[in-house]
Amino acid sequence: MGGTSVKAFAHNPFALDMADTNGKILVLVQLAGGNDGLNTVIPYENPLYYNKRANIAIKKEDALVLNSQMGLNPGMAAFKELYDKGKLTVVQNVGYANPNRSHFRSTDIWLTGSDAADVWDEGWVGRYLTKLYPGFPLQIPQDPMAIQLGSVESLLIQTDLGSTGVVFSNPTNFYNLVTGTTIDNEPVPDTLAGEELRFMRQIATQSVAYSGIIKQKWDKSAKNLYTYPTTSLASQLKIVGELIGGGLQTPVYLTTIGGFDTHANQVVANATNTGTHATLLRTVADAVTAFQKDLEKRGLADKVVVMTFSEFGRRVSQNGTMGTDHGSAAPLFVIGSGVRGGILGRNPVLSDLDGNGDIKFEYDFRQVYSSILQDHLGVESSTIQSIMGGKTFSTLPIFRQSTSAYIATSQEFTFEQSGANPFTTYTTIVYSLKKSMYVRISLFDMMGREVGTIKEGTMPAGVYSEVIEGSYWMPGPYFCAMKCDAGQKVIRISKA
Amino acid sequence: MPVWDVSTAKHLLSRCLFGYSRKDLDKALSYKTLSDFIDKELLSSRPVPPPPGDWVTETPTNNSLEGDRYRAMTYWWYDLMLSEGTNMREKMTLFWHNHFVSGRDKVSYPQHMYIQNNLFRRSAWGNFRQLAKDVSIDPAMLIYLDGRLSSGSTPNENYAREVMELFTLGVGNYTENDIKQAALAFTGWQVSGLNATFTQSRFSNTNKTIFGKTGNYKYNDVVDLILEKPEAAEFVCRKLYKEFVFYKPNEVFIKQMADVFRKNNYEIRPVLSFLLTSDEFYSPQYRGAKIKNPMEVTVGTLKAFDLTSEQVNTTSDWPYIFTQTQALQQQLFYPPDVQGWLGQREWISSTTFVTRGSLSDYIVNTMGNTKATQFKLISNPVSFARTFKSAEDATKLVDDIVNLFLQFPISTAKKQSLLATLLGSTILANWSTSTPGAENQIKALLRAVMRLPEFQFA
Repeated sequence: MGGTSVKAFAHNPFALDMADTNGKILVLVQLAGGNDGLNTVIPYENPLYYNKRANIAIKKEDALVLNSQMGLNPGMAAFKELYDKGKLTVVQNVGYANPNRSHFRSTDIWLTGSDAADVWDEGWVGRYLTKLYPGFPLQIPQDPMAIQLGSVESLLIQTDLGSTGVVFSNPTNFYNLVTGTTIDNEPVPDTLAGEELRFMRQIATQSVAYSGIIKQKWDKSAKNLYTYPTTSLASQLKIVGELIGGGLQTPVYLTTIGGFDTHANQVVANATNTGTHATLLRTVADAVTAFQKDLEKRGLADKVVVMTFSEFGRRVSQNGTMGTDHGSAAPLFVIGSGVRGGILGRNPVLSDLDGNGDIKFEYDFRQVYSSILQDHLGVESSTIQSIMGGKTFSTLPIFRQSTSAYIATSQEFTFEQSGANPFTTYTTIVYSLKKSMYVRISLFDMMGREVGTIKEGTMPAGVYSEVIEGSYWMPGPYFCAMKCDAGQKVIRISKA
Repeated sequence: MPVWDVSTAKHLLSRCLFGYSRKDLDKALSYKTLSDFIDKELLSSRPVPPPPGDWVTETPTNNSLEGDRYRAMTYWWYDLMLSEGTNMREKMTLFWHNHFVSGRDKVSYPQHMYIQNNLFRRSAWGNFRQLAKDVSIDPAMLIYLDGRLSSGSTPNENYAREVMELFTLGVGNYTENDIKQAALAFTGWQVSGLNATFTQSRFSNTNKTIFGKTGNYKYNDVVDLILEKPEAAEFVCRKLYKEFVFYKPNEVFIKQMADVFRKNNYEIRPVLSFLLTSDEFYSPQYRGAKIKNPMEVTVGTLKAFDLTSEQVNTTSDWPYIFTQTQALQQQLFYPPDVQGWLGQREWISSTTFVTRGSLSDYIVNTMGNTKATQFKLISNPVSFARTFKSAEDATKLVDDIVNLFLQFPISTAKKQSLLATLLGSTILANWSTSTPGAENQIKALLRAVMRLPEFQFA
């Protein structure tokens, strides 16, 4: 057909190298259906929680304790472990103003990054990628700009210039299917129909251009370094791990798990630590944790961060059918070796709900996007502003190397504990410096004897976190002290 | 009104049917006018088909036959699509299945989905008001959107929200409070065996305020209240327009459709007639602009090869179509979520596009292949070519095959390239379907035509 068959497409003549990225990778996990945030991060000391959810609340003794007020759903033991190691940050009450409770509208808002009142037709990741590769679609990079595991392409990676990603479930099947597909550069008719044809040809071009390199990198990647669960989400993440391990430079991946629209029977009566929702959360926690461990074995964990998201949380009050109806703000998780760990934000204020009985948002979801773009993917703030449609969202200290203006107080420095307390194996401390200064953080026993140094040196302004490993410590209280040019502060931590 | 000719007929059939054969096209053109064809054929009433099995009336019990029965019912529907002739009832049945969505992910028993499917078939172009009321207490819907669990003391908003958001009004035309109040009006209904049953004690027997009006409303009152809002007619007409014309609606035309819809008390047939005889429907802008859904791709391909319902082997051919349409993201009775299949560009990703290509290759490769395990009764390639009068004239044969398979004009260069594919090492003057190797050349041409992105458009 005068086109180029895939076999002849060993090297893409338009290919750019991937030097434009900082080598960092974002893996998104979409929890489709609206994840019930209140039964994900449990406010186990709040009587209002138990009052409004008499039949479906997670019992205090079942919650996996994160701190004195919050605990994880009992299905998420794997996430608790990551949290204790400082590899998981919880961001509480993420949402947006004037929340829409339609699955489809709210999903689109999350995928495009628009305000509730605006309808955008480009995904936020698509906009990021077209900024990263300004030659697209005339010139496309050698590796796919984005990969979605699945079959139906997400709005996340769509742009006015066409799709920025490829979509498949298995690299070999994809490669075999592409064989026989041709690239066609003829002009299209100047009709609406012609526009649709142009769209389809572009998908064909991407398939042909990328199926080869995806299979090549996948083939050479080490397999089964870590055993994943057998769920669909875990299989998706396993392939992502293998592609990253094989050296594919694609900066964004999207994986999906559905089933979170728990209007009915989200828990088993009288055994609320089990049921549909707990199983879903276990699936997510186990799959993501397996992915993190796989990357650690590959020595690539520093490059990658995982973010979960869902279109909304659910109503604070249970409905009459052992479930919850559509709500608004909810927690999300950011996982990786580069995160600060701990919890950002407060417990939802259940005594101050919106007119619909839903949680008011504390952080705008685009603050999380902006933080990831800035502190993980290394995107300049002016570019982030342009990706976000001209708006600026203050970033959050999700990452250890955060440049966020966190704890915007008049203080010269801050020093807090953010991990489990009391802790069994790991806990995390967070500190921030308003300007560059000398810092020394040490650990003392109750007798005042210094038992270890955690950090010493001159640090630039910023927010930092350190993981303290204490599995061999004697149980009991300890002091952790930070001394710096601006003063000092001591906090008390307890080993259980 | 548009002139009734080959080009008009092809466009109409490709949009209103699951593909068509040359016989179907001839039959359509045997009617003197477009209106004649629409009234007497496309929208003519037909008897309800026999069910997929005696089990459809069985009281549901957990007997682990559900999977097989869902399969059997899916194949049964494939067969109805393949044998639809030139009548669009099955197309409208699928339209309503994709509008008032329920699915087997929650509806465990195929009996309930069968009842719903036949409701859609009977109401294909009946009255929308009645259909919306019937759906509100349809057993499969009561299960799918939790209505059966909802009672006055324990309301569940699921159905109330989706009926307004996705079935009648669209986002922005109701308040959260309208949903909460409507949820109360829908209470009282449960599913017992194969039937919906009303239990007074589960009904919220109080006044509800919906769209600013107050009364002790029941489910049918909510439908009437909804249909008083002008947005409802526009919403349904927009959905029809997006299915049959183009996915980006022309709002001026939608208003005209909605006007017809309301003036006819929400009768569907007049609004379909209005649409299918309008200049808008036949505008050159939209010709070949619709991306075929997986059922149109698969059933339509079989039709184009003149395969009939009698020639399909239920135990080998339909399972193949099942697997393929599943890979192409359309499994009947199992829409992805309550919004249904979105259609058009949503059908196409890097994977589904190339899967469509491997599907058409596969079907062509069964032609004349005695070892093939599927489509054993499909024509061999030479016989198929000889069903065209132009069979022995390679240039005209390419034209005819392109005309049969594509709704989209293609360039002279592309036709030349297709001709070269057909000829292979032969020269034009020597082309004959009797030449040794012609069989493979014809298959190469068919594969190439169906690998063109243009083939994916209706």
